[in-house]
Amino acid sequence: MKLSSAKGASPSHNSFHSKRRSRHIVPPFQSPDQLEPWSSVAVDMHNNTNTNNYHHHQLQNIHTSTSLSSDYSGAGEEPCATGDKWASRLLMECARALSDKDSSKIHHLLWMLNELASPYGDCDQKLASYFLQALFCKATDSGQRCYKTLTSAAEKGNSFDSARKLILKFQEVSPWTTFGHVAANGAILEALDGETKLHIIDISNTLCTQWPTLLEALATRNDETPHLKLTVVVTANIVRSVMKEIRQRMEKFARLMGVPFEFNVISGLNHLGELTKEALGVLEDEAVAVNCIGALRRVAVQERGAVIEMFKSLGPKVVTVVEEEADLSNSQHDFVRCFEECLRFYTLYFEMLEESFAPTSNEKLMLERECSRSIVRVLACDDEQDSGGECERRERGRQWSDRLKEAFSLVRFSDDVVDDVKALLRRYRDGWKLTQPLQDETGLYLTWKEEPVVWVSAWKP
Amino acid sequence: MKGGFEVVHATLDMIQPHHEPIWDFASVGFPTTSTVSSNPRQTVENSCINLERNELSEWVEQVTKQLIDDLPADTGTDDRTSLQEVEASMVCEDNFAPSQLGDFWPRKTVRRSFLDGSFGAELQWGNDLGNQTNVDVCENGGNDRGLDEQGLSLLTLLLECAVAISVDNLGEAHRMLLELTQMSSPYAPSCAERVVAYFAKAMSSRVINSWLGICSPLINYKSVHFAFQAFNNVSPFIKFAHFTSNQAILEAFYSRNRVHIIDLDIMQGLQWPALFHILATRIEGPPHVMMTGMGSSMELLVETGKQLSNFAKRLGLSFEFHPIAKKFGEIDITMVQVRRGETLAIHWLQHSLYDATGPDWKVLRLFEQLAPRVITLVEQDLSHSGSFLDRFVGSLHYYSTMFDSLGAYLPADDPNRHRIEHCLFYREINNILAIGGPARSGEDKFKHWRSELARNCFLQVPMSSNSMAQAQLILNMFPPAHGYSLVQGDGTLKLGWKDTSLLTASAWTSHASG
Repeated sequence: MKLSSAKGASPSHNSFHSKRRSRHIVPPFQSPDQLEPWSSVAVDMHNNTNTNNYHHHQLQNIHTSTSLSSDYSGAGEEPCATGDKWASRLLMECARALSDKDSSKIHHLLWMLNELASPYGDCDQKLASYFLQALFCKATDSGQRCYKTLTSAAEKGNSFDSARKLILKFQEVSPWTTFGHVAANGAILEALDGETKLHIIDISNTLCTQWPTLLEALATRNDETPHLKLTVVVTANIVRSVMKEIRQRMEKFARLMGVPFEFNVISGLNHLGELTKEALGVLEDEAVAVNCIGALRRVAVQERGAVIEMFKSLGPKVVTVVEEEADLSNSQHDFVRCFEECLRFYTLYFEMLEESFAPTSNEKLMLERECSRSIVRVLACDDEQDSGGECERRERGRQWSDRLKEAFSLVRFSDDVVDDVKALLRRYRDGWKLTQPLQDETGLYLTWKEEPVVWVSAWKP
Repeated sequence: MKGGFEVVHATLDMIQPHHEPIWDFASVGFPTTSTVSSNPRQTVENSCINLERNELSEWVEQVTKQLIDDLPADTGTDDRTSLQEVEASMVCEDNFAPSQLGDFWPRKTVRRSFLDGSFGAELQWGNDLGNQTNVDVCENGGNDRGLDEQGLSLLTLLLECAVAISVDNLGEAHRMLLELTQMSSPYAPSCAERVVAYFAKAMSSRVINSWLGICSPLINYKSVHFAFQAFNNVSPFIKFAHFTSNQAILEAFYSRNRVHIIDLDIMQGLQWPALFHILATRIEGPPHVMMTGMGSSMELLVETGKQLSNFAKRLGLSFEFHPIAKKFGEIDITMVQVRRGETLAIHWLQHSLYDATGPDWKVLRLFEQLAPRVITLVEQDLSHSGSFLDRFVGSLHYYSTMFDSLGAYLPADDPNRHRIEHCLFYREINNILAIGGPARSGEDKFKHWRSELARNCFLQVPMSSNSMAQAQLILNMFPPAHGYSLVQGDGTLKLGWKDTSLLTASAWTSHASG
C-alpha cells in the first residue's frame, strides 16, 4: 500500500525516495505544551559526593504524579500515549490504520511513534523503534530495500568472534537456545543408542554449539565410541562465512574426545527441498538423525510439506525439531492479525532479553537488531521476493505437529531427558519452566513467565 | 513524599558579597583593582595542564573544517581566536569593560597552535589519572593510538549522510543511516561510535518526520529530569551553572529586602535551595523571596513549588512561589506579577532538550520590559541557528566533547552514563537535528544571547571573583580534575572539557533597572 508523503505531494508515486516536496510544517493535532508528562516515578536524588565537607542539597523522593490523559481514539482528538505498554497500543492503532488505509491517522501515529521511539531506551521504546521501522517501510513500500540494506550491513560487521561471542553469551544468560539443544541431544542419543555409524544432519544456524555435549556423551557413555558424521546445512547467509572456523574447532574437539569424526557443510541452498540423500552424503549403513533448529520456519509456507517428505526419504531414526512459539505464517491476508502476533512474540522476547542481559550489553543489542531485520521481513516484504530462506514465518508447535504427523509419529521424551532439561533450567534465573502438555503430547515447551516460547519435539518414522 | 533539602556549606558563607563593589552603579562592570589583583587569572589545576588533546572532537573539527570553510560566514564571529588568546588579552587589562561582544566569541574553539609533533605522538585516550580505571577503550585489538579505524569510517559515513540530508536527498540518506545504525553501538567503548549511534538515530528520526511533514516534539519530562539529575551527579556543568549564577544573583540582591527571581525553566528547582540558605543567613537579614517558576507542566511546577516552600519555611525564609506553565516568550508581561519595590532577577540555564522559552525576539522584548536588576545567563557554546549542516557540524563537535568528558571518567557499561547519554544528550541531539532549525520551526534563533543582550539595553556585569571561586570549588569535586577547563575572561566564566568550551555563564543588568 503506497502512501503519499507530506501534504501537497503528488500521489502518483511513492515520493519517499525522491526529494521531499515541501517544507510545509503541518502543525500537530495536539500542541506539545498540552501533553501531560508521563506517569510518575519516585526520583531519589541522592548526591553522594561528599568530599570537602561540601554538601549538596538533596531532593529526596519527589513524586510527580500526573493524570493519565485519555487514550488516543481517533484523529483529531487528544493523542496522549501515557502509562505502561504505550508502544503496543500505538503500534496496533497504526497497524489498523494502515490496513484501513486511513492516511491522516497513519501519519499522526507514525509521528508519535517517531518521537517516542528509541532503539536504546526501555522495552517500549525499543519495540516502538523497530516496529516503526517496519511500518514505515510498509507505508513507503521500501521493505525489500530496507531489509537488504540492513542485512548486508549486519553481514559486513559479522565475524567468527562476534558471532561466537554472541551465541555463547546468550546461552549463558538464557536457556532460550540451550533448552532445545539438551532435549534434542537426549532424544538423538536414545534413538541412536547401540549404533556404530552415526550421521547427524544438522539443519540450523547454531554454529555447532549443540554438539560438544553430544560428542562428550558419545565419548563417555559407550564402551565402543561410535563414528560420527556431522553434516551441517546452513541456511542463514550470515553464518556461512564463519563455518570454516567452526569446522576447525569441531574437528579438533572431536579429536580431543577421541570420537572418530567427519564434518561436512552444505550451504548456498535456495530451498531446503533441494536436499537429497546423495547431496547429503547419506550412506546405507548409517543411522541417521535429522536435527532441525529454527530451520523449518525459514522454509516457504507452501513447501513445508515437501521438506518434511524429504526428511522421510532420508530414512532417519529420529527427527528433532525446535521452533519458537509464534504464528506468523499469514501476513498477506490478515495484516493486522499477523502484526498483533508479531508484536506479542517480540514483546516477550525483548522483555526476556531485558531481564537476562545487562542494560548496556552489546550482545543484547545484536540480538535485538537481528529481530528488527526479521520484523521488517515479515511485515514489510512480499513473500514472492523471498529467496533462500530469509523469511522466518514461524508457526506454533501444534501447527508443526500437524504437518509432521503426516510423515512421522511422535516420540515421547524419556524421563531422563526431561530431568536433564529441568536441571538445565535450574541454572538460570527464575521465570523459566518446562511444560509438557499432557493430552496431545506434542513435545516440550519452554515457558517464560508462564508464556510458552520455545517448542521441541522428536519424531520417528 | 519526603520533602527536605539539606544544604550546608560553611564555605558558602565565606562568599558573602559584603565588600564587593561591583553593584555600585557608578562603576558598573568595573571591578576595583583590588579585587582583580587578589584573584589573578586562575586557570587552576582544573584546566589542561597536561594538555592532552581531545581526541574525538579534534578529529571532528579537522574533518568538518572543510565543510565549515565552505559554508557562508557568520556575521560578527569571524574572529576565531582561541580561548587562551582571548584570556591572555584580558589579563593584561585591568578593566573589564562592558564588552562589545560581537567580535570576540569564537564560534567554536579552535585548537591551540601547538598542534603537531611537540605534544607527542602518544595519543592517549581517556584519562590516565591515578585512580580512575580506564576502560579498554579500543576494542579493535591493539590500536590504542587515538581514534580507531572503525570510529573514523563511521564518522565519515555520518558526515556524508549529513550532506545528503542538507541537500534533501532523503532516500540516499535513509539508506546510509540504515547501515550506520546497524554498525554503531551506543554501548561501545569508543566514544566516536557512541556519538555516531546517536547522531544516526537522530538523523533517521529527521528523515521520517521530514517525510511526514510534522516536526513537533513529544517529551518525556520524567525521563529528562531523571537523566538531568544523573548528569548533575557525575559532571560539574550543572552545578557550575547553578552556583556561579547564584553568586551573581546574591550580589545583585545585596541589601535588597524584597526580591523576585524568575527561573525560565525551573524543572525541579535544584538550583535554589543553596541560594535560599545564603539569603536566609545573610548579614543584612533575609529578604522576602518571590519566585516565579516556569516550565512545561503545571503539575510538576506545583510540586517543585511545594518542595521549595517547605525548604524555605525550614530556613525561616519568607517565600512565595508562582508557577507559570507556559513558555516565557509566550506570556503577557502582566502574568509575571512583579511588585513595586521588588528587585528582579531572571535566571536562564539554556539547554537544547526542547524549546523552553519560545520565540527569541519575544523573550528579549520581555527582558527589556521587565528591566531586571540582573539576568543570569548560562549558555551552551553551541549555536541553534543556521542551516542543518551548520547545526550538524556544531553539535557534532559539541557533543563529541561531552561524550569524551563522560568517557574519560565512566566505564563503557556504566548504566548511569548510558542514561545521561541516551536521555539527555541524545534528546538534545535529536532536538537540534530533527526538530530544530528555522526551516522547520519557522523562527530565527539568536546565535549568541550575549551578543543580543549587549546590543539591546543591557550591560554586562562581569562574573566576580567569588563566582570564580565557587566554580573552582565545584571542579575540585569532579574527577578527572585535569580534563575540565575553567576559564575566566571577558567578564564571563566558561567551563569546558580540554580545549573546548561548553558552557558560558554571564550576568547582565538592565540600564533601566534600579
